[in-house]
This record gives sequence, C-alpha cells and structure tokens, in this order.
Amino acid sequence: MRRDRIRWLLVWLAFALLGCVSPLTSAQAIAKEVAFLDLSDFTGPVAGLTVPASSGLEDYIKSVNEKGGVEGVKIKYIGVDTRYDVARTISAFKRYARDPQVVAMGICSTPAGKMLQRLTREQPIVCTVPGDGEFQAHLGNFFTWGPTYQDAFAATIDWVLKDWKEKGKEGDPSIAVLSWDNAYGREMLRGGKEYAEKKGVKVLKSELFPTGTLKYDIYLSRLAEAGANYVYVGGVDPTQTNIMRDATRLGLTKDIKFISDYWGPTALGTSLHPEALEGMVVVSFFLRGEDAQNNEMMKKFWTTYRKRPMKEMNGGYAIGLGLGMSLEAAIKDAIKRVGPDKLTRDEIYKSYQNITGLDRQGVVGPVAYAPKVRRASDVVKFYVVKSGKIIPITDWVEAPNAVALHKWE
Amino acid sequence: MNELVQLIVLGLMEGGLYAMVAAAIVLVFKSTHVVSLAHGQLMAFGALAFWFVLVKLDMPVPVAVILALAFSAMLGWTTERFAMRPLIGQPLFAAFLTTFAVFLMMDGIFQLMLKGESVSFAAHLPKGNVMMMGVSLPITQLVSFGSCLVLFLGLALFFRYTKVGLGMRATAEDHQLAQSTGITVRSIFSHIWVLSAVVATIGGVSLANVMDIYYPLPYLGIKGLIVALVGGLESLTGALLAGLLLGILENVSAGYLDPVVGGGVKEVAAYVLLLLVLLIKPYGLLGLVRIERI
Amino acid sequence: MWRPSGTFDQTYRQDMAIVRTPFRWGLLIVCLAALFLFPAVGSHLGWSLTYYAVSFLNTLAITIIAVMGLQIVTGYCGQISFGQAAFMAVGAYSSAILTTEAGLSFWVALPLSGILTGIYGLIGGAPSMRIKGFYLAIATIAIHFVTMWLLMHLSITGKSVGLTLDPPSLGSFVFDNEERMFYIIMPVMLGLTFAAKNIMRTRVGRAFVAVRDNDLAAQVMGINLYYYKLLAFFISCFYAGVAGSLWAHLTLVCHQEQFTLIHGLWYIGMLIVGGLGSIPGVFFGVLFIRFFDEIVLLVSPYLATWFPWMGTAPAAALGLTAFGMVLAVFLIKEPRGLAHRWEIVKASYRLYPFAH
Repeated sequence: MRRDRIRWLLVWLAFALLGCVSPLTSAQAIAKEVAFLDLSDFTGPVAGLTVPASSGLEDYIKSVNEKGGVEGVKIKYIGVDTRYDVARTISAFKRYARDPQVVAMGICSTPAGKMLQRLTREQPIVCTVPGDGEFQAHLGNFFTWGPTYQDAFAATIDWVLKDWKEKGKEGDPSIAVLSWDNAYGREMLRGGKEYAEKKGVKVLKSELFPTGTLKYDIYLSRLAEAGANYVYVGGVDPTQTNIMRDATRLGLTKDIKFISDYWGPTALGTSLHPEALEGMVVVSFFLRGEDAQNNEMMKKFWTTYRKRPMKEMNGGYAIGLGLGMSLEAAIKDAIKRVGPDKLTRDEIYKSYQNITGLDRQGVVGPVAYAPKVRRASDVVKFYVVKSGKIIPITDWVEAPNAVALHKWE
Repeated sequence: MNELVQLIVLGLMEGGLYAMVAAAIVLVFKSTHVVSLAHGQLMAFGALAFWFVLVKLDMPVPVAVILALAFSAMLGWTTERFAMRPLIGQPLFAAFLTTFAVFLMMDGIFQLMLKGESVSFAAHLPKGNVMMMGVSLPITQLVSFGSCLVLFLGLALFFRYTKVGLGMRATAEDHQLAQSTGITVRSIFSHIWVLSAVVATIGGVSLANVMDIYYPLPYLGIKGLIVALVGGLESLTGALLAGLLLGILENVSAGYLDPVVGGGVKEVAAYVLLLLVLLIKPYGLLGLVRIERI
Repeated sequence: MWRPSGTFDQTYRQDMAIVRTPFRWGLLIVCLAALFLFPAVGSHLGWSLTYYAVSFLNTLAITIIAVMGLQIVTGYCGQISFGQAAFMAVGAYSSAILTTEAGLSFWVALPLSGILTGIYGLIGGAPSMRIKGFYLAIATIAIHFVTMWLLMHLSITGKSVGLTLDPPSLGSFVFDNEERMFYIIMPVMLGLTFAAKNIMRTRVGRAFVAVRDNDLAAQVMGINLYYYKLLAFFISCFYAGVAGSLWAHLTLVCHQEQFTLIHGLWYIGMLIVGGLGSIPGVFFGVLFIRFFDEIVLLVSPYLATWFPWMGTAPAAALGLTAFGMVLAVFLIKEPRGLAHRWEIVKASYRLYPFAH
C-alpha cells in the first residue's frame, strides 16, 4: 500500500511539475520582441494547406530574425495546433488573449474566425484568415490571405467566358459548385453567384458534401445529369484530387471542364493521381507548380530552412512567405510611426491598413489591404495540370470584387 | 432508369467494402463477445502497410499482400495480448471502451504518419473502367468487390473445414463448454484477433484502392460497426447482407433525397437505418435473440 | 463511511448531511471564497495569467456540468451515451433561438433550454427501451450524427452559418467577458453539482443504480424500467442543455463544429478516468483530462523546436495518442477511476501508521 502511494505521488508530482514549467517557459518576455500567434491545424481536412503555409510563415520570420529583426524588433512565432476543433482554437486563443506581446494572429478555419470576431471586438487584434468574403463585407480586424473566395470565383467566370468563346460554342455556359458542406463551401456563391448571373453564366444547384467524404461518385453523376459544362471544385487538396480520381473513373472529364478553387491541387495532388488531374484548371493567388519551383525566393527559403528537395515543396509555402512579408512591412510601418516601444495591437492594426501596394516579390500579388479593403491582393493566375505538372496558362489577371455584389445582412 | 441502375450498382460495390470491415468486427464479437472500435484502425494500418511495401519499397503485389497481412496479424496479436487479455473477466463494457482507447492511440500514430496528406497505391493496381449493362464501372471497384466475395467465401470454408475454425465456432457457443472439450480458449482469442486483423486489412486495402488513404479512413470502422449491428453481431451472412443493403440504400437515398433536403443524406442514411432496425429488431436482421436470466 | 474516530452522528440530520464535520465546512467555505474572489482579485492586481486561468476555469466548469449529466445516465443508470456533445449542441442552439428569435432573457432561456434539451433527450433515449449496452452506445453515435445533420440543414438553426447571440445582462450590467461570465457559470455548476449529489440519494437515484447493476432484477423489484431510463436521459440532457447554453453565451456563437463526436467520446473518457458512479469522480476526470490536454497544447509547440526531425505534425498526434494511452491504462490498471484512488489515499492517510 505504502509503495503504491509513493508511486502515485510521484506521478502527480511529475504532472504538477509539467503544469508549472510549461507556462513559465512560454512566458519569458524579452524586451523589443513581438509575437505572431498561429492557430493552425496540423491534422484534419485543411492540413494539406495549413502545414505548408505555416512553415512558410515560420521560415520567413526566422529569416527576419536572422537579419536582426525588423529594425531591432524580433518576431516570435508561436504555433499552436488546433486539430480542426473550434473549441480548441478558442481555448488556445484565450491562453494568449491578454498577452501584450502577441500583436497579430492567424487562424485557418471559417467558423473559428467568426467566433473570434465576437471575442476580439473589445481589443481588436489583426487576425489573418483564409478568404471569406464576409470579412471584406463587414470591415474589422480580420484580413484575408488572398483575394476572397468570391473574387476567385468571379475571376473564374471571366476565364470560363473566354474559354467558351475560344472553343466556339453557342449559348450560355453553365457552371456548378462542388464543395464542402460547411460555411466555406457556400461562401464563394455569396457574391460569386450574382457576378456570374450578371455576366450571363448559368449557376446550377451546388453539390455539397461533408468534409470527411472519401468517395464522390454520387455527387459527380448528379452534376453530369444536370448537364454542367464547368464544375468549380472547392475543398482543400487532396479533396480536389480525390474528386478528379472519381470523375476520371466515371469517365466524366471529357464533357465537363473541372476548375479548382485556389486550395486545389498542389505537389500533393500531382504526386497522388497525376493522370486523373490531367487538364484540371486551377485558379490561384499564389505561385504554384512550375512557377513555384522556378521562383528564386521560394527556392532560397525552402532549401535554407527546410533542407528538403525542391520537388517536395508545396505551393502553399508561398502563402506563408506572403503573410510574413506583410507582417514585416506592417511592423516596420508601425515602428516608423510610433517607435519600437509602442508596438501595440492597435498600432499594428492601423499599420496593416497602411501597407497598400507592398510588392511581395511576385510570390503573391501586391498587398491590397487598405482602410476599406481586407483582401490581401486582387490578382490571380490560372494554371493547368499537364502530365503531372502544374503549368501557368495566364499571367496575373485581376480578380473582380464580387463581395460588393452580394446583399449582406 | 439508367441512373437508378447506376446508383444501385455503385452502392452494391461500396456495400461490399463495408461488409468486409463488418466481417472483422463480427468475427471478434462471435467468440469474445467484445464489440470492437479498434478495427477501423487495424484496417487503416493494414492499408498503410500495403502502401508502404508496394509504393515505397517498390515490391510486387503478392509480396506486398503477404507482408501487409503479416504486419496486420502482428498488430492484431499485439492488441489482443496487451489491451484485451488483461481485461478477460472484467465487464464487457470495459473491453469495449479499451478498444476505443486503442482506436485513439492508433489514430494519433496514423495522423502522424500521414502528416495531413493523403497517399494512394491505386496507380500500381488495375485501373480504367468498363461498361456493363449500360453502366460505367471503375475497375478498381470491381477488383475490390471481387476481393470481398472471395473473402466471404474463404471465411465460410475456413469455419467449416479447419480445426481452428471449428474451435472458434465452439468457443462462440460457450466458453466453458469449449474449454472442457480441450480447446484452449485463450489461444482461440489470440487467433481470432489475428484473423480479424487480417480480414480488416483485406477490407482496408480494398477500401483504400477505391478511396485512397486519407485521414477519415479509420472512421469507416464506425460504419463497419453499424453494418455489423444492422446485420446482427453474430452473423457473417448478416454482415454481408447488411453491408450490401446499406451501400445501396446510401447511394439511392442520397441520389433521390439530396436535392430535396439539401445534401448530406449519404452520411446520415446509415445512422437512420441503424436506429430503425434497432427499434424493430433490436438484435439486428440475422442476430441471435438473447434470452437473459437474472 | 470513514471518519476520524470520535465523530459520531447523533441525529438523523447529521447522518444525512453532505458536509459532515466542522473542518470540512471550513475547508469548503475557504475554497469557495478563494474560487469566487480569484477573478476579481486577480484582475485587480493585474496578474498576467488571470484571464487565462479564468477562461480555463470557465471551460472546466462547463465541461463538468456536461460530464455530470453523463455521469447520471452512464455512471449511475448504466446507459452508455456517446451523444452528450450533440445534446450540448441542442442546448446551445435552443438557448440561442430562445434569446434572439423569441426575445426571452438569458435567465429564462437557461433553464428552458435545459428542459428543451431534456425533452429532446427523451427522443434520443428512446432506443434504450429496446436495446442496451453496446447497441445503445452505437445508437447514441447515430443520434449524434442525425442531430448534427438536422442542425446543419434546418433553417431555424442557421444552416452551416450557425447563430450569433448577445451576452447575458442583468439590468444594465452586461456579462460580456470571461471574468463576468465566471460569476454565472460557477454558481450554476455548484448548484447542479449539489442537485446531482442529492438526486443520487433519493429513491430515483437508488432506482438508477438498481437499473445499472441488473435491470431485470430491478424490474422484478417493481422499478419501472422505461420510466427510470428515460428519466435518466432527461436529467442528463438537462445538464447537457444547461452546459450548452452557457457555452453558447460564453463564445457568443453557435456552430455545429463546436460539438463534434470527438467531444462526446472525450466526455466518456473523462468519466472513466474520474470513476463511474461517483460525483467527485466527475471533477477528477475533467480536471485530469483538461490539464493533460492543456499541457499537451502548451508543450507540443516546443517539441518541434526540440526535436526538429519530428516536424510540426506530432503535436496533434501526440495529444490523441497520449489520451488513448491514459484511457487504456486507466481501464486496465484502475477501472474504478481516480475517485476510487482518492478514497484509498484518504483512508490510508486516516489510518496511518496502520496498514488497514
């Protein structure tokens, strides 16, 4: 009995020790250091995107710190895994909510974004989110990573019209959305639909499926039945790749042109089912595929910090670099305005609206953030998958502002 | 009409896949009376092992099959030895929850190995599609469905003609009686876990051939469990029937109801079917009705 | 009942008291005073971790309410339910609808959403009339998915967008941050704990235990099985509903992705770790798992820095694997949970230096 007791006591002591040590190690405050809190999913449906994006950001911050920080102010990167769990995201956010060192943060899930919007209303903190148009419609402290989903959809509509004309077909083309059955999956049509109708493209009924779906036969055959000419595929890679796998197996790729949202096929998808993705068009606001492979900046960062072969680099890495560049610029701007000792959340928030036009070395489009703009950039590029490679087919083209067309509550 | 045929045929193919996972669960329940949640992971790990040998080590298919089966047999044995055996004699509820704990443990490792990505070996196996009765059918699905039928036939023969199989059936009837006729119940438990892990792996490889290895794969174990419950936990025939039924029902209901109610029917159809079946026939379609005494 | 020697009960009231000795009364009052003063004092003095600690305590308390409900239906009445997260969601959504659509005040909506969830729980618990054991456990998983599907597709629940709600207020005082919500959540949690403790000492509670231990024997003794099983589901879902309602008013948003099956599974895990059929066990289980999870959350970012070869993914994997491992170890080595261990520690402390 006694020995047993001592053993348990030891277990408890170990836990208590861990509990005491861990907050201490994270709370060491060094003068002139600001922190970026990255609440990211390292597993789950969006991991294929967030893992490379987070590594890009982390590496960029590393490089800034190696150069001695932004005018002497170092940036700390705090990465927390939220496991595609909203409750966990909230809990992790609260851990840092009143930490003055944390001046900006990033999250990757739409519902968590909406929740944090309510929670940060007292003390606005810059929060970067993937691409919901809602944050452009209701201006606040939420900044998207690229053009909104609506904008990308609208740019696709323009491309579809051009493609339709080039193929010399008659009448109006029709497009259908095939995407996740959640807030993200429906977002692109809030504004995107209005834009399509304005341009004379028929939008068919969307097919939405749960995020954990593994097989898409039924949704695809229904779209074929409905007679869609173009299908706009949402979801985060490998979702698109899996959809194309099933579409190829059902033999639908001949009659329907599949276009992917910007979270679509990357190095991951092309290594999985290169033959199925053949011919898929991808709209993208960051460099991917061959462009990314040949980009000097991405090459330099990937080989210096990840030390992995180039072909393992995922296009999502570019997003992280882009986020890092805007963060650096915003901090620089804030230092210029108020000096390095007053880097509060408010000042960073102001600075984020102040860096309009920042050139981001072509990895992503130039910054579009402004007092009335929350989307990161307003240009996209179209790519096509050809024999396992993602090849650009256009240069940067403008993504129309479709958010404004929707009637927001 | 053509659409209905297509839905039914696709559903049949998918149902065969569910039936295989259910078969593994039924095997374990029959002789140990433990309902297992861990089989979702066993099948995912089997598929992962198959992928590793076939794609990463670049071995021929037969070698990959043998190595994957050997690996999963080991995994099944380990699970039985370290998680289930200490619980013999404890309430069955505890054993059920332990399989759940094993599921979580293995889920962590599974996610760690996938790193948020997805892997596929379909390119190394037959592919393409054929037209049959005016319906376009992917060959991957035909291969998987074929392996399902072969598996069930194999299991039927195994239980009828081998000594271990007969021992398992005897154990399923009554543990004490089996023990007194000279069957080592403990080793039968070990055997049954190994066998069920092997069956789960065949199911997992067939599933992954169609759906790839992606993070939700282990959760199909829950669907397998539902199929097993609908069919009756003691009956392999029930598992096959219920699997096919569920596959068809899911596809047909999603095909016709999705446009009406706004999507997601495929996910809930299984659960609604389960609730209905349990209300009407609490022990499943072909399950034994248990008579309880105080 | 172990008590120090020399402490005797002289009246029936003393024998039935929950808090039995002056020392325990003292301890209880000191603990409660410390608990309730902490947010006010902490934020007044500007301790850096106050906000984090308070928000952690709030989550903890809400989880305790939900798990307490689960303890009643699973720990006491023996009906395994994996659906507690879904019932919490029903509570959250109903309180959101009651406060925003129907215009009721939070104070009315809180118990009302509990009752509505309880009624929903009667439907959810209906399969228990025909089935039990694993069959019921899997049926509750089915109920979880059907509930989530409904929340996702009904227009009153805001479909995939979810609902937003306003913070509760009393007169002109608005409970709009963690420290303020603390003063709603904690009393509710303590009150419900007290209620649970008392329900279990009445005829109803004893009937639950009888149903759990052997339902046929209980029926023979004249206990109406269906009535008590459904009652257990009703009470359990009432707790879940209140927990959900508090959670919704804490985060001010209702979304189905807040209540996934994994949460329902975790609640069962907490119950096992804490100990089935024990009210203190709920506290032990929730505290243990939440602390454990929090430590994993805090330590995992460093893992990637300490062991670069692991990459960033192990964080998530580590948490799940560790949770599964803890659960398995408890089931195999300590099936009666921490509450049982606590009793042993108390008893051996009291008997020291004797072994028995």
